[in-house]
Amino acid sequence: MASLELRNVVKRYKSQTVLDNLSLTVADGETLVLFGPSGAGKTVLLRLVAGVIDPDEGKILIGGEDMTDLDAEFRGVGMAFQNFALFPHMTAFDNIATPLQANRSSQSAIKTGVQSVAKLLKIGHVLSHKPRALSNGQKQRTALARALVGSPPVLLLDDPLRNVDAKLRFEMRLELPRLLADRGATVVYVTQDYKEAMALGDRIAVMSQGVIKQLGTPEQIYREPANIEIARLFGDPTINLLDVKPSRDAKGIYVGLSNVQVHLAGAYETAVGRDCVIGLRPEALSFVDEGTPAAIPVTIEAETPLNEKIVTLVRTVRGREILVSRPAGTPGQTEGRAHIGVDSKSALLFDRASGDRIGSKNVVNLRSGEAA
Amino acid sequence: MEHTSLLERILRGIALTLVVIFFMFPIVWIFMMSFQTNETILRIPPQLVFKPTLANYTALITGKLTTAAGTLDIAFMRNLWNSVFLSVTSVAVALLLGVPAAYAFARHKFRGSEDIAFTLLSFRFAPALLVLLPLTLYFQKLGLANTYIGLIWVYQLICLPLILWIVRGYFEDIPADIEYAYRIAGHSWFATFRKIALPLAGPGIAAAGLLAFIFAWNNFVFALVLASADKQPVTVGALAFITSSGIQYGQISAAIVLSITPTLALALYAQRYLVEGLSLGAVKG
Amino acid sequence: MTAATMQRRRPSGFRISKKVLPYVLSLPALLVCIGILIPFFTSVVYSFQRYRLSQPWARQFNWGDNYISFFTDPKFWNTLEISLLYAGITVLLELLLGLGIAMLLQKRSTLNNFISIMLLMPLMTAPALAALMWKLMTNPGFGVLSYLASLIGLQDFRWASSPSTALFTVVLVDIWVYTPFIMILLLAGLRSLPTQPFEAAALDGVPRSFVFFRITLPMLTPYILTATLFRLLDSIQQFDIIYAMTQGGPGDTLTVFQVEAYLNFFQSTNVGRSAALMIILWAITYFLSNIFIKNWLRLRERARGQA
Repeated sequence: MASLELRNVVKRYKSQTVLDNLSLTVADGETLVLFGPSGAGKTVLLRLVAGVIDPDEGKILIGGEDMTDLDAEFRGVGMAFQNFALFPHMTAFDNIATPLQANRSSQSAIKTGVQSVAKLLKIGHVLSHKPRALSNGQKQRTALARALVGSPPVLLLDDPLRNVDAKLRFEMRLELPRLLADRGATVVYVTQDYKEAMALGDRIAVMSQGVIKQLGTPEQIYREPANIEIARLFGDPTINLLDVKPSRDAKGIYVGLSNVQVHLAGAYETAVGRDCVIGLRPEALSFVDEGTPAAIPVTIEAETPLNEKIVTLVRTVRGREILVSRPAGTPGQTEGRAHIGVDSKSALLFDRASGDRIGSKNVVNLRSGEAA
Repeated sequence: MEHTSLLERILRGIALTLVVIFFMFPIVWIFMMSFQTNETILRIPPQLVFKPTLANYTALITGKLTTAAGTLDIAFMRNLWNSVFLSVTSVAVALLLGVPAAYAFARHKFRGSEDIAFTLLSFRFAPALLVLLPLTLYFQKLGLANTYIGLIWVYQLICLPLILWIVRGYFEDIPADIEYAYRIAGHSWFATFRKIALPLAGPGIAAAGLLAFIFAWNNFVFALVLASADKQPVTVGALAFITSSGIQYGQISAAIVLSITPTLALALYAQRYLVEGLSLGAVKG
Repeated sequence: MTAATMQRRRPSGFRISKKVLPYVLSLPALLVCIGILIPFFTSVVYSFQRYRLSQPWARQFNWGDNYISFFTDPKFWNTLEISLLYAGITVLLELLLGLGIAMLLQKRSTLNNFISIMLLMPLMTAPALAALMWKLMTNPGFGVLSYLASLIGLQDFRWASSPSTALFTVVLVDIWVYTPFIMILLLAGLRSLPTQPFEAAALDGVPRSFVFFRITLPMLTPYILTATLFRLLDSIQQFDIIYAMTQGGPGDTLTVFQVEAYLNFFQSTNVGRSAALMIILWAITYFLSNIFIKNWLRLRERARGQA
């Protein structure tokens, strides 16, 4: 098995820099999710690793070995494409068999190899079909089988669930982690779906405009997002963002939310007097009884039960809309006036001008330092 | 749009009939002439009903024409063979040279690739004699005058740009990811070219080949300038035939029919690709 | 799974670097073409020489003399005039006729598709052989067209052998061969147009002439331009039909550029003049082909986009 390393990789197309001096290490057996909007450079990065395009600068190492100048066929990686990229003139069997044919496996070895991976992915019954006779889900599984069949030490999965229907995506999101873990391969997984990222990644690299904005465990990215953009991308329903200007009193640093002073837990000295944005996850808010310290009076506007939680839209006396989430089955108010309390430990504070998060726990913020 | 008047339908019908008559009549007429003896041909007014004879074709194929005046040798079968040989070989060479180049131009945008591709394309539009006339002098010095090799080389002038530009379009239509997937699976660029690119562009390559064949077959000026009687294709041979045989109109018609049948048949066979081929890939049929 | 685990292949033996590969692939084609480029430059050199095959000893550079003499040479002006006239007339008529036929066949139906395939046959006929076919049909003795002409009162219509009707005759053959070319390009263009504007216009009861001039023609313009320029480029160089039909005659009625250059080279063995004629023709076609390629590229880009 093999680790993967990118060192100061630069890729330009004409005058545009698609990857800007990017470095990244993926440990042996780790699953790294590349997450970001389209055009962030995720797919380019995968292709550089696969060796089908060349970097303008920098090095790519697999298992500690410099692969920068090696053609794709010598890199020993498996890749599944977003659009599947199946060979239209070959049957599903032949599609899956291509990596095995390349290393001149015997006919019987190819047959067992293809059949066992097909069984794993539940496509054993369509192996004789050409791609155009396969459903989207079957195509996706065939593409995945082709990437997996040779047990490559490095697996590159380029948003493989993008073009399949919601049901299948849900199934695969449950199935894939086990599948990947069983193989022990080093995996780089590209997605634009934060749930997929959270479910699959040992670590997540959030990319935007050719650079990694934040790299960390799903937990870190969720709890300590490097900036407002990342905070907004992760979490459903999305984080509540409210403009505030922190002040200080005897009890510490506080922000005013709807005429209520909410004290923050954490070292936010530098934020005092600055224009900031406070980020409150819906689940960091809860309904409280009137009279509870720092309770914010609100009016309930609407309630949406989701599968495992209930999301309530409330409006403060100042007219700001806020989402509050609570686990399904727990009691709560459904209409009228109510009060909400803030779990100040999980509140996030951002600089309004730069969007960067302010705070001492800021360990992985790559663009800190401007705060003072 | 839907409720067209009866008058309009009649006018359209008449117009289409006239169009079909104008464009089909010469072919039909020559075809009929080829089954007539000289006497029926020369009869005025021209005959629509006659007793068909295969004599013209027999004369062409055996190469012997027996008339009252004696026996005349006809080299037409030789011309037909030359046409077949020159066209087939030229297209084969053009495919051999052009398909890899088309692949390079489609897949690897390298320095100067567009300039080179356009230079090749410009051959298609340059006057043929501009190159041919000096070439006759060179060919004489090089010993290529009146050789198949020399002719096949010059035929690349029409075959190569055609194949290059059409096939390039077909290669460009193959998603790059499909080829990447095969490379990543562990196959060399050559295996990818052979097992993925060639089969997927196959129909396009075949169509380009057929079109190139038609253009090579129909070419007149190259062989007129560079070949003498024993290497001439039908286009030049038929002209010489008309001058030498004088009044053997039945045989001339039969020779024309034999000369145009292959291209017409191929065109009908490949008509799906003709539009794209004729416009060098600018218009899809 | 252990049976067939992907072993990383090691690069071995002779490998072509990926930087060199495209050059290697296109090199053979290029070499063959260089062989064609050399005579092009030779032509340029010849055009600046006094060079007659019959007097090789008198060969010398006379620089612009071949070109300058054209100004006072009525034969040259005749060549230029007849070439432009021929190209202009054929392309204009073929365009009008081709557009008309394309519109007649626009609706997809079995009959229309069948007719459009039938109409390809003249285009697939070698132009030189097409000329011979028409030569047989216009033969004064037994030609069916001569007979038909006599029926409508043209008793002694001489077709290509009379200076007054020779141009008409070769133009007719050119139209017969090449109208289908314009027709199928425009037909493909017409059929690729979006149907929406036409449906909207029909719904609003917009007059047909308005639809044609304000919707159809503008949308068809790129196809018309490409087809026209394509034909213009070919037509101004027409050789096969004219040579096979009349060899430039009668007299010098039809000595278009390439025919004149051919006759100069092989009959008067005046290589210098012949080369100068070809260079002038090349300059014209080069100018046209630059406009053409721009148009053609745009259209090609669009066609590839649809794929």
